[in-house]
Amino acid sequence: MSQPLLEVRELSRRFGGLLAVDRVSFAVQPGEIFGLIGPNGAGKTTLFNLISGVTPPSSGAVLWRGEPITGQPPHRLNRLGLARTFQNLRLFEGLSVLENVLVALQRRPRSSAAGGLLNSAGHRRAERQRLQAAWQLLEELGLTALAERQAGTLAYGDRRRLEMARALATGPSLLLLDEPAAGLNPAEKDQLCQLIGGLRQRHQLTVIIIEHHVPLLMRLCDRMAVLDFGVRIALGTPEEVRRDPQVIEAYLGTGGHAS
Amino acid sequence: MIDNGLLVQMLIGALLGLSVYLPLAAGQLSLATPAFYAVGGTLAALLSTRWSALGATADGGFPVPSLLLEMALGGLLAGLLALLVGRLVLRLQGIYLAIATIALVEIVRVAILNLPFTGGAVGIFAIPQPFATAAGYLLPALALLAVAGWLCQRLERMPLGRAMAAIRDDELAARCMGIDTTRVKLSAFVLSAVLAGSTGALAAHFLNTWNARQGSFDASITTLAFVILGGSRTWLGPVVGGLLLTALPELLRPVGDVRLVLFGLVILLGPVLAPQGLITPALLERLGGWGLRSATDRKTEEAQP
Ligand SMILES: Nc1ncnc2c1ncn2[C@@H]1O[C@H](COP(=O)(O)OP(=O)(O)O)[C@@H](O)[C@H]1O
Ligand SMILES: [Mg+2]
Repeated sequence: MSQPLLEVRELSRRFGGLLAVDRVSFAVQPGEIFGLIGPNGAGKTTLFNLISGVTPPSSGAVLWRGEPITGQPPHRLNRLGLARTFQNLRLFEGLSVLENVLVALQRRPRSSAAGGLLNSAGHRRAERQRLQAAWQLLEELGLTALAERQAGTLAYGDRRRLEMARALATGPSLLLLDEPAAGLNPAEKDQLCQLIGGLRQRHQLTVIIIEHHVPLLMRLCDRMAVLDFGVRIALGTPEEVRRDPQVIEAYLGTGGHAS
Repeated sequence: MIDNGLLVQMLIGALLGLSVYLPLAAGQLSLATPAFYAVGGTLAALLSTRWSALGATADGGFPVPSLLLEMALGGLLAGLLALLVGRLVLRLQGIYLAIATIALVEIVRVAILNLPFTGGAVGIFAIPQPFATAAGYLLPALALLAVAGWLCQRLERMPLGRAMAAIRDDELAARCMGIDTTRVKLSAFVLSAVLAGSTGALAAHFLNTWNARQGSFDASITTLAFVILGGSRTWLGPVVGGLLLTALPELLRPVGDVRLVLFGLVILLGPVLAPQGLITPALLERLGGWGLRSATDRKTEEAQP
């Protein structure tokens, strides 16, 4: 196997008396779509917070292309190529849809503050490139018509897609999606599935996706891990995971739609 | 009536309003503006009265280039102070930041009051005058306001300004989008301080005397009121707020003591009647529709592919 893009080793996080993530290990290969499932409260979002630097781990390590990155602040990790969305949607609600994406394009390309103040030719060129990239992303995610709308006024599904556009604008190699299909109807879920597949192709992405809807995950993912009470109870291809007795008991067996 | 002296005061109010606005545009409620204003003013008062190389004349005159130099130095010193203090206090959020910055204002005030060379409670007086009349101060005050307005306007189309707006809406999300929020907040804080420091240097000459009372806690509240009344969603808000609230007590002078009550009522009712402040982006857009092309409008056009 090639060098994993991301690896978590024995990662744990304690909140008071609660072990929200309990010595979780797995590795994600470049180009993979990796699923993360588990009942509500299993520690999936906490795991994303640990990986993206939002929450420091109590113990364990996160490795990026083999290098330890544990404890680095979120903006540094993002600049390494790690972007995420939020389960509870955290858009810049006062800004327009286009501005939400432009904010995330800060460094693509970079331009100096002095150039910006003086509106230098270099700055204008950089701004044009940013605008072009932003419109392209909006187009890709079907948000062009909403570009001037204030993000806070968008419908739910549009917000979810704007979260993805904004994360993509940072130019990631790894995209962490926290329940991107939550609140979508079956048709929309189907579209999302295709969208994620297409995005992976066009942006050479590796994706880790948290999702409750098991059929969707089974279809989308190359491999997946199952969390239960903070513990990784299974890891493998969707087929392997589906047959795992522990999984059937802990999650799939109880109906498979904990949300 | 509005005479030239009041006009200069109003412009100083607008400048201080902008100084409060800058950190607020990055979501940081800093009340430190009067501290930086005091630093700039004290520096100018000291330099112009003590350092003869600046060219103060025996009859109280002062070269204009020396005034400009003092404004630059006042901004520089205030900016350096902000750089030092900002690293520390900008770790605090919301009301804690507000309290820490009020503490800074008090520390600076007490320091200026007790330093051996700042004239104690009386302060420094007979600060030399670059202009014979108040009208002369209009030009540098307007010029400084124009520079500050231009800066704010440019920020809106720059990564730094966009990062500030993003932090204001959601700091954690901004961090996850690769924004070094510590640095952005510090930049806004330093810009705010530079502006207040330069304004202080100008004000010291205009007011002719300068003492520790110039940068006190009540000034923190007054300058904040400029932004709250004017609105903090566009830089024109604090400018209008600063102009109006500086003029109001003077314009109300004919009604006697009731004027303070009326002044208080405006500050109280302003946010109730216009929670977003008087000047909002929506208002600017409507004005744009009437033929006054607003910044918001131009931005929209530019953004088309
Ligand atoms: N900041 C926090 N402080 C205390 N407890 C937390 C915090 N974040 C998450 N938890 C707890 O950790 C557990 C896992 O939560 P979470 O990671 O959100 O689960 P999931 O995303 O799988 O539904 C839950 O019991 C939750 O209450
Ligand atoms: Mg969750």
